[in-house]
Amino acid sequence: MRDVAIIGVGCTNFRGRHPDKTYFELAYEAAKAAFADAGIDKADVEAAVYGIYNDFFQRQYQPDAFVHDYLGLPPIPAVRVNTGGATGGSALRIGYAEVASGLYDIVLVLGVEKCADCYDYNTKNPVPEVLRAILYTSDMTYDNPIGRTAASGFALAVIAHMEKFGTPTAEQMAKVSVKNHGNALKNPRAQSGMKITVEDVLKSPKIVDPFKRLDNCLYTEGAAAVVLASRRKVADMHPKKPPIWITGLGAALDWAHPGNRESIAEFHGCRVATQKSYEMAGITDPLAQFDVAELHDAFTGTEIMSYEDCLFCEPGDGGRLIDDGTVWPGGKLPVNLSGGLIGCGHAVGATGLMQTSEVVWQLRNEAGARQAPNARRGLVQSIGGTLCAWTVSVVLERVD
Amino acid sequence: MADKKLSKKDAFYRAHAARLRLPEEKLRPLYDDELDGKKGPNEPFEVPDKMDVFFKYSYGGQSRFFREILHNERLMGSKCPKCGKVYCPPRSACPLCYEATEWVELPGTGKIEAFTIQHYSTSAFVTKVPFLVAYVRLDGSDFLMMTNIEMDDVGKAHHGMPVKVVYRQEKSGAMTDIYFEPLNV
Repeated sequence: MRDVAIIGVGCTNFRGRHPDKTYFELAYEAAKAAFADAGIDKADVEAAVYGIYNDFFQRQYQPDAFVHDYLGLPPIPAVRVNTGGATGGSALRIGYAEVASGLYDIVLVLGVEKCADCYDYNTKNPVPEVLRAILYTSDMTYDNPIGRTAASGFALAVIAHMEKFGTPTAEQMAKVSVKNHGNALKNPRAQSGMKITVEDVLKSPKIVDPFKRLDNCLYTEGAAAVVLASRRKVADMHPKKPPIWITGLGAALDWAHPGNRESIAEFHGCRVATQKSYEMAGITDPLAQFDVAELHDAFTGTEIMSYEDCLFCEPGDGGRLIDDGTVWPGGKLPVNLSGGLIGCGHAVGATGLMQTSEVVWQLRNEAGARQAPNARRGLVQSIGGTLCAWTVSVVLERVD
Repeated sequence: MADKKLSKKDAFYRAHAARLRLPEEKLRPLYDDELDGKKGPNEPFEVPDKMDVFFKYSYGGQSRFFREILHNERLMGSKCPKCGKVYCPPRSACPLCYEATEWVELPGTGKIEAFTIQHYSTSAFVTKVPFLVAYVRLDGSDFLMMTNIEMDDVGKAHHGMPVKVVYRQEKSGAMTDIYFEPLNV
């Protein structure tokens, strides 16, 4: 396999709604920024991978073909990837494989999502209809008819984890919300930067036990793009900005009917994907070897479970890392300096690539007010599907 | 030619209400500013729309599961003749052994493995909150089934609580034909 670098990134603002832009116009904004950041022309791109999750959100099946047209990339090949919340990470994985295999030297990986054109005319609010659109991606025969939501799936896992380990506590989960909303204050692209307290989170309305409103990630519209290049291309180009190398990558798809798993109290697939990426990158002590991590905080409780699944600590001990400051800015391994899905937002297909962009900026020392000092190696975790069916784990490094 | 007498606004709302099968009052007055010409030439132009597809859906090899519920109020699982594992929801083949399964009747009782209270849900369910969604470990099955638990006081649900299947009187051949309630009511 050939070495693969990220040579350019671009990300739109993450907002609750971009009424002035369609999904393909958002994609254009991210692609243009990524090409400029990489110092390439669109004519240099040899293939594209599009991460787009929900066709209902876009009000368009096969939206990737229209993105490709709008970006002016025909007739180069392109493929669309959809793995729920992990769509962005999965798109990165496919782009990586296309470059590592030697098939192409420069690949555009672009994620986009535009959810809030969905609208519930009965409550005069987009959110219930966004949820209904999401539930078309749950099992239509057995799960969809019973009124569950993505949140209740993850809630069941967090509750099972609590039954098994006694954690995370409501206060520990609230601290994750305080941290991520606070981090988002320093990210101009973030949808929901807020200075809040643990009390604010605990007093926010219940959504799905044990999650309150401020424990949840956001419904977000946005796009993010990454330009991948082979080592040969990087050597030819002499890029102005330091290339960021993908040194580890692992992925898994767990049982989509979580009732068939051995346990719903841990995300086994997530652990498998993480271990694969760590073996590839030579990570044996993640807390010491990573300088930043962007984890898929769909919910506060699942961010804490991710500390465990990413092997930052023993199973059941994740709550300690939010209590003792480890994952806060200035801590040993700051998690979600972008604000994460809770503070920056969850524009599903774009999310994994927003997280990737954030780690790239951190490793290039371009993250402004939220910059972690001397960041050289970072982790991106992208998860999706019912109770974390899909996981993609990516290790990124700056090697000067 | 009756349409010609309608105002621009009435024609717009009537056309969309018919197409979306929504009462006109659900759409009014969300688009009045547009129809009254109050929007600038470059402001976003929004219109009502929906996507739908009708089905005559086949449950395939899982058909008997729904047929037994509809006609006989029996809960069926599927058993692998090789490893002996019993699935509910059923599967016509065992994913572990790649063997065809056999139908077995389940007692319809079980215990709550994990549950959550939905205080908010999709537009199809948002008026029904709060309600319970749970993984139930069914007696006679080796796996968990996601289902609704119906009880007067949702706050009394607990881990390990014994539950039993209930068949709705009015059935539609869907998973909602059954739900669970506490065993001791």
